[in-house]
Amino acid sequence: MSNQGNNRVPEQIQEKGIAVFRPELRENKELERFRVSVKNGNALARTKTEIALYAAVCLAILLVPVFLQDAFLLNKYARYLVFGMLAVSLSLSWGYAGILNLGQAMTFGIGSYCMAMMLKLKTVPVHTGADGLPDFMVWNNVTELPWFWTPFYSPLFGVLAGILLPACVAALLGWFVFKGRVTGVYAAIITLAAMVVVQLVIIDQQAFTGGFNGITDLGQFDIAGITFDAYGSSSYYLVAICLTVTLFLALAITKSKTGLIVQAIRDEEDRVRFFGYDVALYKIFIFSVSAAIAGLAGMLYTIVMEFASPTFLGVPLSLSVVIWVAVGGRQSLLGAMLGALIVTGVQGALSESETFLDTWTLIMGLLFVLVVLFLPQGIAGAFASLARRFERQRPAPARKPVQHTEPVPNGREIESTR
Amino acid sequence: MQADQLIVENVSVSFSGFRAVSDLCLKVRAGELRCLIGPNGAGKTTALDLICGKTRLSGGEILFKGKPIHRLSEHAIARAGIGRKFQVPSVFRALSVRDNLHIGHSKQPGVLANLATFGQGSDTEDIERLAELVGLEDELDTPAAHLSHGQTQWLEIALILAQDPSLILMDEPTAGMTAQETKKTAQLFNRLGGRHTLIVVEHDMGFVRDIAQTISVMHQGKLLAEGSITDIESNQAVRDAYLGSGGIGHA
Repeated sequence: MSNQGNNRVPEQIQEKGIAVFRPELRENKELERFRVSVKNGNALARTKTEIALYAAVCLAILLVPVFLQDAFLLNKYARYLVFGMLAVSLSLSWGYAGILNLGQAMTFGIGSYCMAMMLKLKTVPVHTGADGLPDFMVWNNVTELPWFWTPFYSPLFGVLAGILLPACVAALLGWFVFKGRVTGVYAAIITLAAMVVVQLVIIDQQAFTGGFNGITDLGQFDIAGITFDAYGSSSYYLVAICLTVTLFLALAITKSKTGLIVQAIRDEEDRVRFFGYDVALYKIFIFSVSAAIAGLAGMLYTIVMEFASPTFLGVPLSLSVVIWVAVGGRQSLLGAMLGALIVTGVQGALSESETFLDTWTLIMGLLFVLVVLFLPQGIAGAFASLARRFERQRPAPARKPVQHTEPVPNGREIESTR
Repeated sequence: MQADQLIVENVSVSFSGFRAVSDLCLKVRAGELRCLIGPNGAGKTTALDLICGKTRLSGGEILFKGKPIHRLSEHAIARAGIGRKFQVPSVFRALSVRDNLHIGHSKQPGVLANLATFGQGSDTEDIERLAELVGLEDELDTPAAHLSHGQTQWLEIALILAQDPSLILMDEPTAGMTAQETKKTAQLFNRLGGRHTLIVVEHDMGFVRDIAQTISVMHQGKLLAEGSITDIESNQAVRDAYLGSGGIGHA
């Protein structure tokens, strides 16, 4: 650039400064507005595509029972969908907020036990007759129904507790962890430890929780006259509809400004803090929402499995969720869900086939290693970069030329004049 | 003469025995553009950290608009009207420039209020204007990770302007910028003066000459001298402090 060009820069800055601080003096305002709306349109179009994609997948899931009447398979697929929901919950806290929750099964298990307690009280006890004690309490010489069991006679309380109790537990845990600014691997270890503690308490308090055996012989969940049989299409629909609602709710959260701030916290926690946002509150919020979704998934799991067990709060399940989400792509809710469906589906198919009876765990292990090595953003990340490459190859839509009174140098042009 | 907006009084802090800042006193008027200079390790960045709450002081007090702020949490200090630019540019690398600026707009910091906010809404024009001011208008949808170092510096400056605080703390804003970019930044800062109060920590004396009204020199955690650029350059104590580091111009 010539000397003359160099001298022009400050003048332009001044002009631009005027435009910024005294917008009424700006020329070409209409043109600029047009340009703004075009650019916003692009972002909006991308969101619309995303919504369409989510809707298509959910529709496909909802249509499965139309083509498939096998009760056993429907039950199995409903189970996979519950895992998908659990993966969505972890994607929200790990992928979006950067909180690696190794104890996601804790809130899942709490939800599952809430549903099991409610359904247990719907059955007529064998030993003590109607309004009597659940069987395992009788075996453990309990004479009176414990106070925390009584409210579960109300189905409404049971359902609300299954969602709100996990959320409250997570909020309490989050309060200590995030207010205390515990981050990264230390936060992950605390979540894991908390889960193990809850699991041990449940196993230890056999008289009230059924201990190792869990809570079995449950009644069937019903709502508004519909009974949800674990091996019928009704339960499948229940799970599929809950999954759809959850997925879109989570998507809405990530698209809101709160969702944006949460992602910013994942990138640069301090930067967000110095803008005046209370980082701990944002983390507690997203951690609790994630826990509520996991609790809902836990309740549905009890309906589909017809029992609750301390293994639902186990380390193996909790770590499996992390693997599903990593394979599917933690920064995509849909990817995380599909990751869970794919991994649990392949796992099921391999472990049931005679050829791979001895080797299926090895094959799964190899699969994870490959994904971690070659698809660090998971399957969803791989698709996203493919889509971007495809977009770049297409000719860009012609831009309306915008007239400036003078050409405006941007950072790049300035750099090239060095 | 306007009242002092920021008063730092006898502030001290030590890190495991080392007194990074001791008995620092600083008064900055509203709308002033103040430069804070000093040799390496003088405690300039620590002074900014103390004002914005990143580091807790062990003695003294800091008043902002007449109210003590040194016991508030970081977000409360930010909400009171203090913005901070970090030495190592700190932006949200995974997010687009537009989203970065949207987050900078933090007039409404509540979780639930923001949960109901979708898109930029009425902020759109503001965001576009800020992007244009710092020359990023064509990069609005680019992830911040793809920007050059100078552009990243500018993005962070734009983020602070989006926050619109009355007091802006800038820690080496021109580090890594080309001469052209530095010149542009000086122009921008001169324009901000009056509307915002600025405290700028800077090593580039050319840049300081371009923008400074008053210069405060720190040395070994203390305020060494204060005055106009000519006062400072002729001050013997300042010359001594810079001794061995190649003189004030090369610090």
